[in-house]
Amino acid sequence: MDAASTAAAAAALATPAPAPAATVQVPRGQVDLIDFIDWTGVECLNQDSSHSIVNALKQSLRDDEGLYLASDSDEQLLIYIPFMQVVKLHSALFKGPEEEGPKTVKLFSNKEHMGFSNVNDYPPSDTLELSSNHLIDNKPLPLKYVKFQNVRSLTIFIEDNQSGSDVSKIHKIALYGTTVDTTNMKDLKKIEEH
Amino acid sequence: MVLEATMICIDNSEWMRNGDYARRGSRRRPMPSTSSAAPRPRVSGIPDLIASVCWWVQSNPENTVGVMTMAGKGVRVLVTPTSDLGKILACMHGLEVGAEANLAAAIQVAQLALKHRQNKRQQQRIIAFIGSPVKYDKKVLETIGKKLKKNNVALDIVDFGESDDEKPEKLEALIAAVNSSDSSHIVHVPPGDNALSDVLLSTPIFTGEEGGSGFAASAAAAAATGASGFEFGVDPNVDPELALALRLSMEEERARQEAIAKKAAEDTSNTENNNASSSNSDSVMAEAEPASNAAAGDKKEQPKDDDDLLQQALAMSMEDGASGSAAVTDSAMAEAGAVDPDLALALQMSVQDANMSSDTDMSKVFEDRTFVSSILNSLPGVDPNDPSVKDLLASLHSQGEQEKKEDKSDKTEDEKN
Repeated sequence: MDAASTAAAAAALATPAPAPAATVQVPRGQVDLIDFIDWTGVECLNQDSSHSIVNALKQSLRDDEGLYLASDSDEQLLIYIPFMQVVKLHSALFKGPEEEGPKTVKLFSNKEHMGFSNVNDYPPSDTLELSSNHLIDNKPLPLKYVKFQNVRSLTIFIEDNQSGSDVSKIHKIALYGTTVDTTNMKDLKKIEEH
Repeated sequence: MVLEATMICIDNSEWMRNGDYARRGSRRRPMPSTSSAAPRPRVSGIPDLIASVCWWVQSNPENTVGVMTMAGKGVRVLVTPTSDLGKILACMHGLEVGAEANLAAAIQVAQLALKHRQNKRQQQRIIAFIGSPVKYDKKVLETIGKKLKKNNVALDIVDFGESDDEKPEKLEALIAAVNSSDSSHIVHVPPGDNALSDVLLSTPIFTGEEGGSGFAASAAAAAATGASGFEFGVDPNVDPELALALRLSMEEERARQEAIAKKAAEDTSNTENNNASSSNSDSVMAEAEPASNAAAGDKKEQPKDDDDLLQQALAMSMEDGASGSAAVTDSAMAEAGAVDPDLALALQMSVQDANMSSDTDMSKVFEDRTFVSSILNSLPGVDPNDPSVKDLLASLHSQGEQEKKEDKSDKTEDEKN
């Protein structure tokens, strides 16, 4: 299933896409989990208050190139996203500038309220090494699906950025997967028809 | 009220033995041998402080407060963040003074204590009472501050007691590093004959974290006025009615002064318009006169007023008393004349004419179109090419001619007679 989805995604990109900001190819069988994010519990440590986490997560704001999430004191960011129900996480998409976009991204599943001090105490559920191409590709990156079968909350730790500058910037974070309790079969069918 | 978990760091080092501050008068038992104004050790003012902080914290029943020491037996947490005030006040007993305060370690321990708070939804805050000199340099303090900001911890500092040359700047730098959108504050309390807790009650640490511009200034002012730091020298807790009455009278006074300032501003703008349109001049002058008379009346009621506008109004009204309604235009014209010496000369001439004869002579001056247009050109904000101004000039001119005809007919009648 992974190979098929990545092949389909690659095929879609092979046909000349007008701009990188074209529509994302949602992986087959997955939905955008933005609807299941519990917004009251979303937190981001070390964010710049004028460039906050909502710029990267919320529906209309994340597609606006002018709005981004920026870090404050140094280049690390710790984002905590709780979900309204248990989900399975399939892939993640990060969009950012080539210079200050994230490089090493560690994902932790079901770890509540981590701080920068204990972020290295636990092994991450998955680690992504992003290149500048990934940041502009608009292609979701597959995760270790087996580690994200029962996700109540996700912690994203951005350890450093592409150029090593003091400020990390992210335009968009999108998560794709399925819900565990109520997998809506109608939705699933619609995506497969694409 | 924001949901908060607070850690209070108390400085109980040897420096706190010095007595700089008076104890809070009303609550203490009178000491038979010493007068009540004798300086007590700094540390004895702290329990009142803690009690005051707790009162504030109770505004939200879910807020928690913890207490720890920075010196004494070492950096120790006396009470982990709890909403039980009894525990907090009890821990103040037997507080020993000694050793040196370790600020860096204390802030780290406070951070850790806040991290393990029970309710993760609470905002984290540290309140540090720093009475001893700060031995770290600015860089170290700034890194500490950055770390606090990274972990979203706010910091309030009360700088009192020992003030060596760099302590205020160092602590300001620390607050600047921690501060994100005005969450952190610093209060400098110079030594004086006032209780520490009274001074702090008037600062934003207690009056809520929203706003508080110039809180350091207000704290300093409060400390400087001595006695108590309250706005009218009266403790609202002790005598609420008196405090309320004082506040209301202050507000009334302010409102009255604002009304006068507004009238004065209207006066000056009205009288400048007079120079451009004599067709309205009589009516406007009549209007301006009672307005300025009223202003004069109010002026005399408030002799001590430093507002420039009000002084102008005062000057106008004084001149008004001297020479009737023409004086209103006199002072305004004098004001315009101050700008341009040529204009001043011209105005002087016109004023002399006016003084010698009746009001209608004013319109004779305005008949001279060149003179009027020269005035208009020099007046700020008046564009002589503006059609409305041109219309006014035209009407002036026709009115002037009408009056001239009347005068001529009068004169011919006189001559006949």
